[in-house]
Amino acid sequence: MLAQRIASQSLRRPTQTIDSDEAAHQILAKQRLNRPVSPHLGIYRPQITWYASALNRITGCVLSGGFYVFGAAYLVAPVLGWHLESASLAAAFASWPVAAKFLTKLIVSFPFTFHSFNGLRHLMWDLGRGISNKQVQVTGWTVVGLSTFTSLLLAFM
Amino acid sequence: MASLRPFATRLGPRLFRRGLATTVEPIAGFSEATSKSSAPIPESKTTTVKEPSPDADSKIKTFHIYRWNPDEPTAKPRMQSYTLDLNKTGPMMLDALIRIKNEIDPTLTFRRSCREGICGSCAMNIDGVNTLACLCRIPTETSKESRIYPLPHTYVVKDLVPDLTQFYKQYKSIKPYLQRDTPPPDGRENRQSKADRRKLDGLYECILCACCSTSCPSYWWNSEEYLGPAVLLQSYRWIADSRDEKTAQRQDALNNSMSLYRCHTILNCSRTCPKGLNPALAIAEIKKSMAFT
Amino acid sequence: MASALRPTMLRQAFAAAAPAQRCFSTAMPAFRAAQLARQQPIKSAFVRNALPGATRVAAFHASPARAILPPLPQVIKGTVNDAAQVPDPTPMHGSYHWSFERIMSAGLIPLTVAPFATGSLNPTLDSLLIAGILIHSHIGFESVIIDYVPEHRMPRLRKLLMWALKAATVVVGIGFYEFETNDVGLTEAIKRVWKA
Repeated sequence: MLAQRIASQSLRRPTQTIDSDEAAHQILAKQRLNRPVSPHLGIYRPQITWYASALNRITGCVLSGGFYVFGAAYLVAPVLGWHLESASLAAAFASWPVAAKFLTKLIVSFPFTFHSFNGLRHLMWDLGRGISNKQVQVTGWTVVGLSTFTSLLLAFM
Repeated sequence: MASLRPFATRLGPRLFRRGLATTVEPIAGFSEATSKSSAPIPESKTTTVKEPSPDADSKIKTFHIYRWNPDEPTAKPRMQSYTLDLNKTGPMMLDALIRIKNEIDPTLTFRRSCREGICGSCAMNIDGVNTLACLCRIPTETSKESRIYPLPHTYVVKDLVPDLTQFYKQYKSIKPYLQRDTPPPDGRENRQSKADRRKLDGLYECILCACCSTSCPSYWWNSEEYLGPAVLLQSYRWIADSRDEKTAQRQDALNNSMSLYRCHTILNCSRTCPKGLNPALAIAEIKKSMAFT
Repeated sequence: MASALRPTMLRQAFAAAAPAQRCFSTAMPAFRAAQLARQQPIKSAFVRNALPGATRVAAFHASPARAILPPLPQVIKGTVNDAAQVPDPTPMHGSYHWSFERIMSAGLIPLTVAPFATGSLNPTLDSLLIAGILIHSHIGFESVIIDYVPEHRMPRLRKLLMWALKAATVVVGIGFYEFETNDVGLTEAIKRVWKA
């Protein structure tokens, strides 16, 4: 019975003989094209390490993006008739409701404080200090807390 | 695209599909724009294989395992669920996998060898972090379901087996062996002081399981050119070795924008290392040693 | 071979697992797949640029999860025994670049702290701060482009973005020169708007 099963199994799957290394390599190369990529961002556990790093890049891009947009806009402002002088900006901002002012300040101040404090952490690592798992977690959460606190403080100013 | 997804999962009998599939060359039939989706079919749309011999007082835990079979190249990867009685299963994740393979589903494919964390074969992503299945305890709370994926952002050979060819080719590129032009002074051995030997502690223990490299987002996006934490740690192992005489050449090989400097100190590598090593520190030391040179 | 002949394994392999595995299958019939493949989804210019011409027809299961830089099908250069290629040393993009970047970042620390201590900066320090931020931003954007637009896959887009970034940095630099010469300076302006 067992022998029969094995025999039938081997009949169903005829073995393929491969002539040369080149032919074998061709088969492998073709198989590789079918391979899926295993999941990554979507399944990796959220950890302070890579979340803080991603946030550092995002906040940096937000700040620098704003800086670039303002610089370029200021250059073309006279041509397009915009008023981006500090006096008119301040006057315009002063006329906003308090809640909107607070929110806007927070949107600017959090990226600034987070990127600044986390930048210090990165510079410390570049000196080869504070790279143990424990220190990274402690300093990471410290930066999150400190930047949240100081950004709120700045927004209330 | 999202609206088309239900079709892919609803799908009809496999026998029928197979009959047609043999006549249609999968690659030529519809060429792939990119490698297949990294998001597998969720376990809610697949079946569960139950513990073969449940008892009254059994501690049933559910495992969702990533499956993909190269013999069905057009099929999407999917999450297959298995339930096991923890009372009948060993304490480690590898024990669970072996029990599934032996008693429930012999088609499940994974690498394993030493079962004691020295070979690095069973590296995989368990509950969201990369680790060795043989060193990872099964969390005993049965209410939590475990998820097992292959190492992230790797090409999957089958199920939990990733293709590490590129990883090994990169390892080879850093010349992981002692390079000397001068013969040893006593004509027999290349000697080293105890202090110099101590510099290699925390470096030589690396077993190249690729857990750290495949936890690094930078390596996910640029594995063609960025060497990744494991290979850089190995490179530092030779840069730091007092007996090696090709330190400058080793540093030159890393001195470009991609090989080393795609490291943005994300530090997932040190966080995930199942051997407790610190690849991030090794990379920081390389960068320091190369600053202004 | 001995393990393959273990009766329990054989029983499971042939009796239980095979039919069970059949109903797990979630693959689609080939005709359906071909039909779906014909409806080409709209793709971003980024993806179009990223892919070689022959493989631009998206299959039905192209990943929606990662629109940016979707991984290509696996191709290994050379045999498995060839080492990966080592690039020529270019310290200007390597160690010098890294050191310069760190010095810039470290230099920004006192310039960022000073306005909080003194209220606002004098014109010289204010321009220094702007220059520092501009260079720091330029380097930051550059590394974002290098990370997400690999040269070997998208050489044209990469070149385009790099030149666009250079142009933007120059334009922004001139813009801030105008701002510094005609207005009250960055730190003072932020202070005035902030307290408005």
